[in-house]
Amino acid sequence: MTDVLTAIDDALDTGVAADEDPLTRELQELALALRDDAPEPTPVYREWLGKQVEAGFPKKRRTKPAWWQRLMSPALATGLIVLPLVAIVIVAGGGGSSDDQSLGGGGGGEAAVDAGGGSSSEGGDDGGGSAAEPALDDTLAKSEERQLSRADRGAGAAVPPSGGNFAPGRSDRRIERSIALELEMPVDEMSRVAEQVTAVTNRHGGFVLSSSLSTGEDSAGGDYELRIPANQLRAAVRDLSALADVRSQSQTGRDVTRHFVTATDRLQAARAERRSLFRRLENATTDEEAEAIRAQLDIVAAEINGLRGQLRNLRLRTNYAVVTVSLLEKNGDEGGGGAGSFDDALGDAGDLLVTVAGLIVRALAVLLPLGLIALVAWLAGRALRRRQRESALA
Amino acid sequence: MNEAVVEAVPLTSTARTEGFTELYERTFPRVYAYVASLLRDRSAAEDVTAQAFERAYRKRRSYRPARGSMDAWVFGIARNAALDELRKRKRRAVLEGDPEDVGSPTPEDQAELAVRRETVRAALASLDGQERDLIALKFAGGLSNGEIARVLGMSESNVGTRLHRTITKLREACHD
Repeated sequence: MTDVLTAIDDALDTGVAADEDPLTRELQELALALRDDAPEPTPVYREWLGKQVEAGFPKKRRTKPAWWQRLMSPALATGLIVLPLVAIVIVAGGGGSSDDQSLGGGGGGEAAVDAGGGSSSEGGDDGGGSAAEPALDDTLAKSEERQLSRADRGAGAAVPPSGGNFAPGRSDRRIERSIALELEMPVDEMSRVAEQVTAVTNRHGGFVLSSSLSTGEDSAGGDYELRIPANQLRAAVRDLSALADVRSQSQTGRDVTRHFVTATDRLQAARAERRSLFRRLENATTDEEAEAIRAQLDIVAAEINGLRGQLRNLRLRTNYAVVTVSLLEKNGDEGGGGAGSFDDALGDAGDLLVTVAGLIVRALAVLLPLGLIALVAWLAGRALRRRQRESALA
Repeated sequence: MNEAVVEAVPLTSTARTEGFTELYERTFPRVYAYVASLLRDRSAAEDVTAQAFERAYRKRRSYRPARGSMDAWVFGIARNAALDELRKRKRRAVLEGDPEDVGSPTPEDQAELAVRRETVRAALASLDGQERDLIALKFAGGLSNGEIARVLGMSESNVGTRLHRTITKLREACHD
């Protein structure tokens, strides 16, 4: 077969059918006949097309849109489909990442309120106002700032009137707060920070309840238990947080208004009973009667003292927040003061890279399947067009 | 004609625009012959050939030497244009009814040559469309087997096999 094809090509090249094999020679002659019989263009047509080529096929009136217009319409359509999908993915992804931050951000800004546990256990002891408890918890969790300001205003507020209905959200609420801060710093800065913790406490009208500080090589650290006036709490925490890097921060809040109201009511009742007993004592006619009244007065006086102490304790706990500051040694601090900022920059760069990579992955998750579908559709369309075109020869 | 194919050196990007005239001069008669053989209609062949060269001119920057010679590229464009024309005519259901008006024997032709041409044309009419396409690309278009393979999107050996089979069939048809 190859010889025959070669012989045919030779005949086409030389224009002569000269193969020794008669059959091959016949095929050579046939090939030459086919070539010689090929249609030729007329001179008029040749001249016309030659001029067209020389003129660069001058454009007639454009009926088709420009290439960019043709490109734009599918691109625009694709964009209209893809962009909302990408936006949805980004928005959905953004929500997820913010959740992650709130869960893992121990050293972030203001800490979340852990008010649920304390409040619910207190409600069980009192046995009253159970319907108000979920609302109370919800309020505490959702509006931390609002509660802080209310607590500040309510710190010195008057005791609620006896028998008044208690409801969350009232401005005379009593909230017991505690905040724990973990500050980390190089060992050589620990003494300075410790002094400033005390200074900040004093500046905001608080006091140091207990403190311990160790600056040895083996185990450096310190613990401070502070009492800060509730109305100064936010400013004090802000100042304390500025002393060093905050590793973690946690905050709890417990509403003790009910305890306060109950104790106040009981105190008023006890005082009223004592006044009544005094009146009865003045009117007593026998020694036995007077002795019995005095015994009751002793009991009521003890009760009043207990309630006063309880109220004093509640006032102290709500007027002053408990702030626990732990001073921790910072690990890997070779570069001195500049190293922290460089580490922060590295951390920020890493976070940024992760965020960008996340966005790219999410965008690819949308674009890749769409691209594959478009590719398959394009290939299928191309194959279909080719098949349709070839069908003209059938 | 094959010499012209062999000389068809792929153009560089800078020479693409400047070399189009040379490409046209080199391939025009063969492209026209191929299209006319396929369509069997001179008027339609002129339109399709002009259309093919205009498309090639407009798309000359999209030519990639790695995909084959420029001649094969132009023939591919011409073939697509011709097949599109055939499809249009097929939809109009006039393909079978069109008379062959490609080159009638001139009076000065010798009688033997005229008879042979008529025999070959009759034999060509017995071939199917793909076989006629192959014959037209080879003998009217003057393409090498490799270039035909590029145009048809098949292997060169497959082109050789089909070409051998077709020309043998044509020879047999000439004897019938």
